[in-house]
Amino acid sequence: MRQTVYGNTSLDAFDTIVIGSGAGGGPVAYVLAKAGKKVLVLEAGPCHLDFLDDPARQPVPRFSNDELKLERRKLIETNDRLEPRTWRNTPADGDRIAELTGNVQALPKTVGGGCLHADLKMPRFEPTDFQLGSLLSVPGTSFADWPVDYAELEPFYAWGERLLGVQGRQGANPFEGPRSTPYPMPPGVPMYGGSVVGTGLAALGYTMFPYPAAINSMPYDGRPACVDCGFCSGYPCPTNAKGSTAVTMLRSALVSGNCQLRAETRVVRLIANAAKTAITAVEAIGPDGERVMFSADRYVLAASPIEDARLLLLSDPDGLGNSSGMVGRNLTFHYQTRVLGIFDQRVHGYRGRTVAECFADFRGKPNDPAHPLGGIVEISGGGFPIGEAGFYSQIINQAKLGKWDGALFKSLMRQSPGRDRVMVLVMVGEDAPQTSNRVDLDPAIVDLDGLPVARITYQNHAFELDAETFYQPKLMDIFSAAGARYTAPAPREAIPSSQHIMGTLRFGSDAATSVCDRNGRFWDIGNLFASDGALFPTSSGYNPTMTIVALALRVAAALVDPISPESVIT
Amino acid sequence: MALSRRELFRLCGSAAVVMALPACGDNLGSAVFSNRELEALRAFANVIIPEDDEPGGVQLGAVEYIERLIRAFDRPPELPTPVIFAGGPFSDRNPIPDSNGQPTAEHPANDFTNFLELDRVADAAWRLAVLGSAALPNGAPNEAFFGPLLALEDQLKSGLREAQESATASIGDLSQEERTKLFNAQPDEFKALIIDLVTEAAFAAPEYGGNIDLAGWRLCHFEGDSQPLGYSQFTPAGYVERPEAPTSTANPGPDPDPLGDDVTQLLELVIQVLGGRVRA
Repeated sequence: MRQTVYGNTSLDAFDTIVIGSGAGGGPVAYVLAKAGKKVLVLEAGPCHLDFLDDPARQPVPRFSNDELKLERRKLIETNDRLEPRTWRNTPADGDRIAELTGNVQALPKTVGGGCLHADLKMPRFEPTDFQLGSLLSVPGTSFADWPVDYAELEPFYAWGERLLGVQGRQGANPFEGPRSTPYPMPPGVPMYGGSVVGTGLAALGYTMFPYPAAINSMPYDGRPACVDCGFCSGYPCPTNAKGSTAVTMLRSALVSGNCQLRAETRVVRLIANAAKTAITAVEAIGPDGERVMFSADRYVLAASPIEDARLLLLSDPDGLGNSSGMVGRNLTFHYQTRVLGIFDQRVHGYRGRTVAECFADFRGKPNDPAHPLGGIVEISGGGFPIGEAGFYSQIINQAKLGKWDGALFKSLMRQSPGRDRVMVLVMVGEDAPQTSNRVDLDPAIVDLDGLPVARITYQNHAFELDAETFYQPKLMDIFSAAGARYTAPAPREAIPSSQHIMGTLRFGSDAATSVCDRNGRFWDIGNLFASDGALFPTSSGYNPTMTIVALALRVAAALVDPISPESVIT
Repeated sequence: MALSRRELFRLCGSAAVVMALPACGDNLGSAVFSNRELEALRAFANVIIPEDDEPGGVQLGAVEYIERLIRAFDRPPELPTPVIFAGGPFSDRNPIPDSNGQPTAEHPANDFTNFLELDRVADAAWRLAVLGSAALPNGAPNEAFFGPLLALEDQLKSGLREAQESATASIGDLSQEERTKLFNAQPDEFKALIIDLVTEAAFAAPEYGGNIDLAGWRLCHFEGDSQPLGYSQFTPAGYVERPEAPTSTANPGPDPDPLGDDVTQLLELVIQVLGGRVRA
């Protein structure tokens, strides 16, 4: 009989129910449990971290250096046939684009959520990223200021970095905001491929620096140092060297005695009072498919932006908390511009932490035509033989007009231009928010339990496409300057594959135009909060997870002390 | 003609009964495929990865891998876990390092052999993928839109049968060139399935039935799973990298398989199509 309940299993009355156990939920569980509140965390997916609640030992992951298990058989992702999402670019496409139904920006559904599959690149946003509503005026977009600025979030960034264990070098990013503390640990081993690309960056005057990452460069908080096994982006860590919120904050909450985690328990409905001003209970589907109810004084949504919005829409025909009409809207993904470089020599980018170096020169500045807003650029290796074989089968298929060539395939695998000799520059581009980019319920497609699935309506704005057009040739120049034999842009994707999902419940200062207030509380529902990327009014051009963690810590701290949340920081 | 195991399963209604039955009919070498199907499958596995001075698809374990997946849910009562997801965190292939970052003689136990129990959704998802819509009481969701899913076994067998029927002679008697032509003449969906399965077999961890003797990883110069040794070890005196497989520097020694004309010709075409650049 597999375990599905963790932590203090005897708790049966709760102050707060947290829906989702990832980067948005783990910090809330941590802060509230440490403050003596009784917390129930409900997670739709299974737990693959054995002994997660054992105070005497570190969790034992079921994860491993296993490409088939994670990438091909998708141990931790939602199933595209049983739990699909649907996609269309505009309502003019009809109900959905059939061939794009399935795996649409699927984040992991497992205890630990998206924090597990991420290679946990953890830069902070820049101070101006919180003010783009005031700074920009772009027709057709809905850029808005954050109701919380960098200065107010800074102590929570620092707290989060300390709890997770973030490696990095203070001052290395010339564009970073003021820091109250240095990174908790220095950068780890550089990747050879990064050094090779670095020669091109230096020649062109760009500033490469070690990517801040919640990966132990040394033993930290009882967890071991990373051994650079390479199974990092897309792979949960087999040793807990990656400081996910699961093995740090959520684990601390579970061993505190104040927290209970129920895995394989998917919340399907929030039940509100008649006036729709308070949540009274949640209905969930348990591990064996049974319906179960839970209640608490307060409820926190942290199921990821798409599922948060879906849950509110499943709970009420108009969407709970939706007097603004903004539930599900202003959905953003990072718009990733990718350029690949293939070198004569083997750069073995599959060893290391997938990405160890980066540069931020292409993040740009608001209203500066010479430096449009793009994003931080990951200098990425990665890739393993099964995916590599898939890539070669595609290019053989195209080049040989559908005819297989086994000898050529074997040569490709041996010479490995697509894995052992390739590096990829990935610009994490700011995605302009648009109210028309949204989540609602598909009118016909259902999941395995018969519930309508989330439908995404999303179309890129010229804002991010123009940035790609501007920066893509410059990315190719870098590879050329680094001596790459070949460099080329990756084809544009039908659905952005960033798995950086933001917006849908944006927070703000005005109840008419936002869903939640500055503390993450729903304007319409006094005991309902959001604490994940759904709150983001804008996406920035930096990886979102560190900001999700900092914001979730602040939402939780405000639950403990609404007047001075920073006083809760320990 | 022999009943497939799936058909037997339907007739008997019990996996335990199927497990107790010996392979029957004309299938001598396989518990899943008839001799004729097996001949075609082996031929196509070696079309995808031809045998040369290193193994081809057959020797890399394509048939064993595919059979294991098809039979993932045919489990004996004492070992009921479907063989879909190998366990973790470690195999026993790499040593445990000492405090100086050096490999010791000690290896961890092989956790990969302990396959993971499936939760409710994963169980349904994999029954669907392996056994088809008929495996779920109400079929797959949204069948009105997307149609039902066929069992993997049925997909493979019907594809192999069609290939054999379209061949001019028994596939076993065809030359490698004729087998390649025959494969290329098959429907795209079937070809893609065979390519996926054979390459998964060749390059996945050997606990899934393929990559026999790690020959697939050796072929592509990949070290495979590297934990718990990894490529860099932290020590108080600094990081210790593996001399033969470093993280921060170039590999030592000559390139075992430098870029050759066959590959660069293809790459130049791809780069041109993508609108890229070739170094002058």
